[in-house]
Amino acid sequence: MPPRSVPREDRLFYFSLVPFAYIIIAALLLLALSITWKALPALEAYGIDLFLRNVWAPREDSPGDYGLLAAIYGTLVSAFIAVVLALPLSVSLAIAVEELAPKPLRGAIAFLNDVAAGFPTIAFGLWGVEYLVPFLRDYVMRPLYSSIGFLPTFSCEPLSGASLLAAGTLLAFMVTPFMTALIREAYASVPFHLREAAASVSSAWYQEVLLVLGMIKPAIVAALLLGYGRAAGETVAVSLVVGNSFNVSLCLFAPSYTVSALIANQFGNATYYPLMPEVLFAGGVFLFVIGLVINWMGVRMIERVRWVG
Amino acid sequence: MAEVRALLDILFKGCVLLIAFLALVPVLHLTLAAIVNGGPVIASAGLKFFTEVPPPPGNRTYGILTSLIGTIELALLSTLVGVPISFMAAVLVVEFPHSRLGRIVRLLSRTLLELPTILIGMFVFTIIVVPLGSPSILAASIALALVMLPYVTTYIEAALSSVPRTYREAGLALGMTKARVAFTIVVPIAVRGVVTGILVGLAKAMGETAPLLFTLGRARTSLNVDPLGPGDAIPLLIYDYAQAPYENLREVAWGATLVLITLFLLVYVLARLTIRGVRV
Repeated sequence: MPPRSVPREDRLFYFSLVPFAYIIIAALLLLALSITWKALPALEAYGIDLFLRNVWAPREDSPGDYGLLAAIYGTLVSAFIAVVLALPLSVSLAIAVEELAPKPLRGAIAFLNDVAAGFPTIAFGLWGVEYLVPFLRDYVMRPLYSSIGFLPTFSCEPLSGASLLAAGTLLAFMVTPFMTALIREAYASVPFHLREAAASVSSAWYQEVLLVLGMIKPAIVAALLLGYGRAAGETVAVSLVVGNSFNVSLCLFAPSYTVSALIANQFGNATYYPLMPEVLFAGGVFLFVIGLVINWMGVRMIERVRWVG
Repeated sequence: MAEVRALLDILFKGCVLLIAFLALVPVLHLTLAAIVNGGPVIASAGLKFFTEVPPPPGNRTYGILTSLIGTIELALLSTLVGVPISFMAAVLVVEFPHSRLGRIVRLLSRTLLELPTILIGMFVFTIIVVPLGSPSILAASIALALVMLPYVTTYIEAALSSVPRTYREAGLALGMTKARVAFTIVVPIAVRGVVTGILVGLAKAMGETAPLLFTLGRARTSLNVDPLGPGDAIPLLIYDYAQAPYENLREVAWGATLVLITLFLLVYVLARLTIRGVRV
């Protein structure tokens, strides 16, 4: 509320804007409340086991047996693969735009990056099914399986190619532009005198770049966190390439599931099965909490990039 | 030593350029794939691609009329619902930056930005689709409006707060009220930024699939424009046909992808053209 000293007209102006602000607040609160509320019966019926067991046995006449572990495992692992792959891609792209690209090209590449960041995710999904999955199967998974298949992560024979690795790789390409934008912004914000300082103690260009990257470390960590959050919540593209099967295995070539893909596939017909909608809402609560925590940490990290002097 | 460093420099530069190029390949290849796969489909169907409903499986006809109309209607309706809320909330955040409400809205719109959009779909299904009894274009528009809200709010907020303080002070010194300063001075100066924000939000909403899964229904074979009835959208069509085992449906999916990418780029380039003019 504005202080009492504010003129009456201005207070009226303020109060005329209040309803719109309340709509945003109400939307978020209602969203959190309704999803949690809907999830409660499932949490009551299965307890914490709902998140710790891997079982999916729906029944039409009575509540089936459900445990979300496979989907949760798949969500966490595929998002992890995504940021691990996206980190070198986005850092390199940020350096390339800020340091190496000729001036006239910079704007064009930055624009291309912005476009890619907002690109319809379903287009990535279709591309993933038709190109990325077969490519990964033939040129990455099969060679790895036949050469170093004794490692547990590469130990299963790739079938269709739809797998955790495919989901993680597709997600990596999808979050790279977003992470690049965050890193690039921080990189460009390094003040000139700090650039000069970095240059003065470096005897080669690459050392200078590494020093500057060190200065923006919090922004890079923030990009990792926010990228992870995006990857964990992505739905349609992932559900097309993850294989949609309830697997908890170390092997990255096995088809798997993610929470959002599970919701996308099952929620539409879930009402035929007692407690299945509630179980899926519990998955929604998981996504909500992950998103909230990661977003909060990421925003705090970004705030750490401040320049003194 | 100097030669080693020079060599390392070249090596580092080469690696950076190679990996950076790799980062841009997917989006370029995917656009190319949409043109190569979707182009012939649209060319062979001609105008019928836009004026006929989708084919039955296995048939060799094409058409995305219902989804195309649906996507356009959804874009208009969600803009109509979402933009006024975003705009007024952004004005509040910028003009009353020290009010508690302003700070809360700022924080919450940033939080919504990172929320998985499938949750918005579940939410709208619970509070609108279930009470109304069936999925509808209206419900889907509200879901998309919720997707747009944080983007548009954040962009408009940035545009409005980029207007220098001195302009506001000049208006206040003339005895104008805060409301008049906001709407006759600040908004007109920042208008291009505001428009860009709306367009970026629109582009984002247009490409979304997850919020539509449970809210829109799939009225694909007969056209419905009544907001209270079910509809279809291009992303939803692509999602369904990408999983279909029929060759011809996949071809329709590629054609639809080309249309979607074209619409998306159109809106984005428009946003880019307006942003270029922001000079205060």
